[in-house]
Amino acid sequence: MEYTFHWRPVFNRLPDLLEAGLITLEVSALSMVIGIALGLGLALIRMSGNPAIAWFAIGWIEIARNTPALLQLFFFSFGLGAYGIHLTPYMVVLCGMAFNNAGYLAESFRGGFAAIPDTQMKAARSLGMTATQAYIRIIIPQVLRIVYYPMTNQMVWAVLISSLGMLVGFHELAGETQRQAFRSFRLFEFFLVTAVIYYVIVKIIILSSRLIAWRLFRY
Amino acid sequence: MKIGTALLASAVIGLFALGEVESAKADKLDDVINAGKVRCGVVLDFPPIGFRDANNEPAGFDVEYCKDLAAAMEVDYEILPLTWAERLPVIVTNRADVVFGATSDTLERAKTVGFTIPYAIYYAQAVVTRDSGIATFEDMKGKRVGAAVGTVPEIEFLKYAKEWGTEDLYQGFQSENEVFLAVAQGKIDAGITTNTAVKPITDQYENVIAGPRMPWTTDYTSVVGPRKDFGWLNYLNLFITHQVRSGRYQELWGQFVGGEAPDLRIPGVMY
Repeated sequence: MEYTFHWRPVFNRLPDLLEAGLITLEVSALSMVIGIALGLGLALIRMSGNPAIAWFAIGWIEIARNTPALLQLFFFSFGLGAYGIHLTPYMVVLCGMAFNNAGYLAESFRGGFAAIPDTQMKAARSLGMTATQAYIRIIIPQVLRIVYYPMTNQMVWAVLISSLGMLVGFHELAGETQRQAFRSFRLFEFFLVTAVIYYVIVKIIILSSRLIAWRLFRY
Repeated sequence: MKIGTALLASAVIGLFALGEVESAKADKLDDVINAGKVRCGVVLDFPPIGFRDANNEPAGFDVEYCKDLAAAMEVDYEILPLTWAERLPVIVTNRADVVFGATSDTLERAKTVGFTIPYAIYYAQAVVTRDSGIATFEDMKGKRVGAAVGTVPEIEFLKYAKEWGTEDLYQGFQSENEVFLAVAQGKIDAGITTNTAVKPITDQYENVIAGPRMPWTTDYTSVVGPRKDFGWLNYLNLFITHQVRSGRYQELWGQFVGGEAPDLRIPGVMY
């Protein structure tokens, strides 16, 4: 194959790509914050043992973990669109990713809760704490410590699946790359540079999480 | 005996070397003739120029052009269904020999692939929802607008959207079908497409009607081939002029689009 690389069009558009990289980070981080809150709730509901509400959490987790993330985005885009509910591309991606993250994180949290010995709760209650206090002050901090690394993995996953946003018209890093690349159709060069940007973003996340872990878990 | 062997060996090497020279000279035109098949990339997301008929077979103006090219070259044809975004990559990666895909001949794209003289001319037009209130192009200011990603309508409209400060209201879709679905669902108020696609779409969706014509220039579209294969591009140029001279261009345009086929001339330019 005879192919001459043209890098200039990519470097001319590099500021746009880097700006889109920030949007990728923003939507991923936001979807993680929402996902953690929802995932924690789902895990608690699932573990409540109340079948009237547990089915809701189980259904959510099953769908989020066992269907393609792309279809979940399409649900929030064209699926809701069929019923006259029109979300912006940003909201489609945020809702889709938060839904997906919550499903995966709920199972991580459930594993985290299972790893905490029952005696911790008993000890907390024996000190006069209410069940809520015991959860907030004793159990959940330990769970968060156990699921810290799975949460980091989920954050990396969130950054990577946010690239599906380009298929619903969202201009995060992959979407912006596609838009810019189609001007000159230098797809190979554009996506290669974008892959490097993704790699750097992921490495920054992993490095930051290690630094935070080093600071948080010293004792 | 030794001399005989040496002579034979030289002759064989010479023949191979000659073969090498010959194959090095062979261009895309020779390749297609020798392969006995021309591989045409066609966008089937673009009725009535390229679409699938009731039997799910590729059909339309561009598909007929591929068949005509194969007939002229006395080879078979293969239709490769493409999305808009794939039109140039299939040429660059040599998965297709030629693309009939209403490809606008922009100078940026011409750095990557080779363009023939124009083979069809279009203009951009919007399809809008019945209650959108869009009658003129200016009415689109502040409305939610969409187009297929990587197309000239997208590039041109975004220039206006930037000027108006309404870039956030624009949405790119992966295919024209998604644009039309989005208009029909009310997800966007207007979808920008090509004039030839307006009638089939407004016939298909009850709540979608023809919208205003876009203000940018006429869309000259070319057949696409490998950038450095001048012999092949010359052949395709000649094929386009023969289609016009033989009346086949008018015949196919009348069959699929209807009416008078546009003149393939750029005023004030000779090519």
